[in-house]
Amino acid sequence: MVYTKKSPALFIIGLIMLAIWYMADSGMMAGYIEHLANGKKYKYGSELTSIPMYFGIVAAAIGAWQWFGSHKEGHWDYYSSTIAGGMFILLIAMLVRWFVAPEIEVVSTAMGEVGQTGSHIHKLLGLNYVVIGIVTGMVIVNVFSIPEWAQNGVRLSRLGLKTGVILLGTLYSAAELKNLGGLSIVMIGFFVLGSVGMVLWIGGKRKIPNSMGGVLSAGMGVCGVSATVAAAPVVQAKSVEIAYTIGTILIWGVGCMFVFPIIGQLLGMSYVQFGAWAGTGILNSAQVAGAALAFQPDGIETLKVAEIFNITRVLVLPIIVLWLAVWYVKREESATQVNVGQVIFAKFPVFVLGFILMFALSSTGIFAPAEHYKGKYFGNTAESGFKDDKLLKDADVATLRSEFGKIERTDRKDALQRLVENRKIMSPDDDDVLRGLVNSKALSKDANKILKGAHKAVRHTAKKIKAFRNWITWLFAFGLVGLGMQITIGSMKQAGGQPAVIGGIVGFVKAALSLVVVMMLISEKI
Amino acid sequence: MTTVNRILLASHGTEGALAAEQTAINLCNKGAHIHHLIVVPTFWQGMTGDDWLNNGSTRDTFRRYLETELGKEADEHFERVSQAATEHELTYTKALVVGEPDECLLAASKEQNFDLVVMGSPRPKGKPGLRSRMITDPLTKGLKTPLLVVPYPDE
Repeated sequence: MVYTKKSPALFIIGLIMLAIWYMADSGMMAGYIEHLANGKKYKYGSELTSIPMYFGIVAAAIGAWQWFGSHKEGHWDYYSSTIAGGMFILLIAMLVRWFVAPEIEVVSTAMGEVGQTGSHIHKLLGLNYVVIGIVTGMVIVNVFSIPEWAQNGVRLSRLGLKTGVILLGTLYSAAELKNLGGLSIVMIGFFVLGSVGMVLWIGGKRKIPNSMGGVLSAGMGVCGVSATVAAAPVVQAKSVEIAYTIGTILIWGVGCMFVFPIIGQLLGMSYVQFGAWAGTGILNSAQVAGAALAFQPDGIETLKVAEIFNITRVLVLPIIVLWLAVWYVKREESATQVNVGQVIFAKFPVFVLGFILMFALSSTGIFAPAEHYKGKYFGNTAESGFKDDKLLKDADVATLRSEFGKIERTDRKDALQRLVENRKIMSPDDDDVLRGLVNSKALSKDANKILKGAHKAVRHTAKKIKAFRNWITWLFAFGLVGLGMQITIGSMKQAGGQPAVIGGIVGFVKAALSLVVVMMLISEKI
Repeated sequence: MTTVNRILLASHGTEGALAAEQTAINLCNKGAHIHHLIVVPTFWQGMTGDDWLNNGSTRDTFRRYLETELGKEADEHFERVSQAATEHELTYTKALVVGEPDECLLAASKEQNFDLVVMGSPRPKGKPGLRSRMITDPLTKGLKTPLLVVPYPDE
């Protein structure tokens, strides 16, 4: 079978991308971009004048070949058949990120703040490019259906998300990974086991079949649809039980993706708190990423926390599947014994190894100096990025000298002395001490301003890490738009029966309880 | 009761469909023909939903398992109607297709000359089962063969 379609679609997608690039680069769009900027600086100017050109050329060239060329069966044909769908998702992600989401922000801002919340409606509802992208994907699949030429490529969204998680490995420091990992193991351990146990207990009380209890507990407890897909064959779930469970989880997941960021904003949650809550309380792993980016669209700190929780969940999955298999075999005579090694091997998430590898590489200093923290590192020499024009001026030194008397702690006095003598911060330790001095507000505003400038002069963002951050944002946007294209109303409509009742109870308890735990136990910083 | 010679029966094992099967058998003359159609609705294709954490092999295992399950269920329904048809000395053919239920029924009704199309009535509220309607406007407008919708059986 030949998979590549002789269709003009990819060629047209390429032309649209090139048209966007040309209009942005030539200034034809200047008026519209000014309108979208809404009195601020338009955030995506550099993206608009580069990304659509590169991808437009690729899409137009391959599209012309797909349209007019001849195609034969084989590996290349299969890979080639995915390009049109992949570019289709990318085009949707571009349009949503650059034009639709900013337009919604303009309209929402014009409508004014909502009541006494101090927020505009787009912020309150988390209507940013990620959420709008997922919704657009859902509208496309449910209203228009995915065109035949795009169907193979839509599956690339999973690859996009997994690659995003792998690259995310470059952005963690060892301490951060240790602390977040520890927190996620405790939280996920408690809530996974708790919700699996709760579903099985309520299921037993309501006398649902073991197969239904098994598949529902995996879905509600571990990672939603992914766990259902992994557990269904093991507990020999009936087709209707699978449909009920997946329908229930999808409705919960999509609902949570909208509701969680609103609650997070209203409660003023920190990135760590929200990431931990979304990572624990949202049933479905795709919506965890969606909610994290909806909560913080212009940064990935929340996503970093949420993805650690997702990774912990997926590492727990083979264990839960094994547990359910043993549980099911004990209760059903017709059940077949499971091969433990085979289950662990088949269900092990290989992409997590990629994440660990990237973290390990990052720790060696290949992408940024090894001592970097969140991609930023200390450097006070020209080789490490320090610029001589950032040395303190005479006036700055005089201002700082005049405030020595206000400082009581010796370590702060010594650090300031070294700064004044060398006109730049001399070590990461001094940097930390002087930041403490700024936070203590012991000095005048002018002196604090000078200290902040000195801090900025020795803190640099690694170029490669900066590039990774951009790539990660795009990979998640691409992946989530594509996943939106795989959420059908037809499957959500199947929510019902006992799984809807039990799932509703357990889902609510899990979301509410994890919120309480997060608010009580997690501080701003981990 | 009027009897017929060629019936297109759409059923898939729900209580309503079982009533339709019984009615179809009873309506047939001796030696008449029943063509049994089971439609696997397209929403099953979206049943891996937005799973992205699993490996391809886990998704393949799930798809194969689901296909087998749906196939087994269809075989049970075919077997039941086939036995009933044999007992009543009727001839029996079957078809299992994937698609939108109304479109598939419409297409099947055009493939042969049927005297009657028989199906069960929609599941009443609160009854367990999948949500996939066969009786739709396009079906009733497009069907050229008389349609009999058998009432849902009383409790």
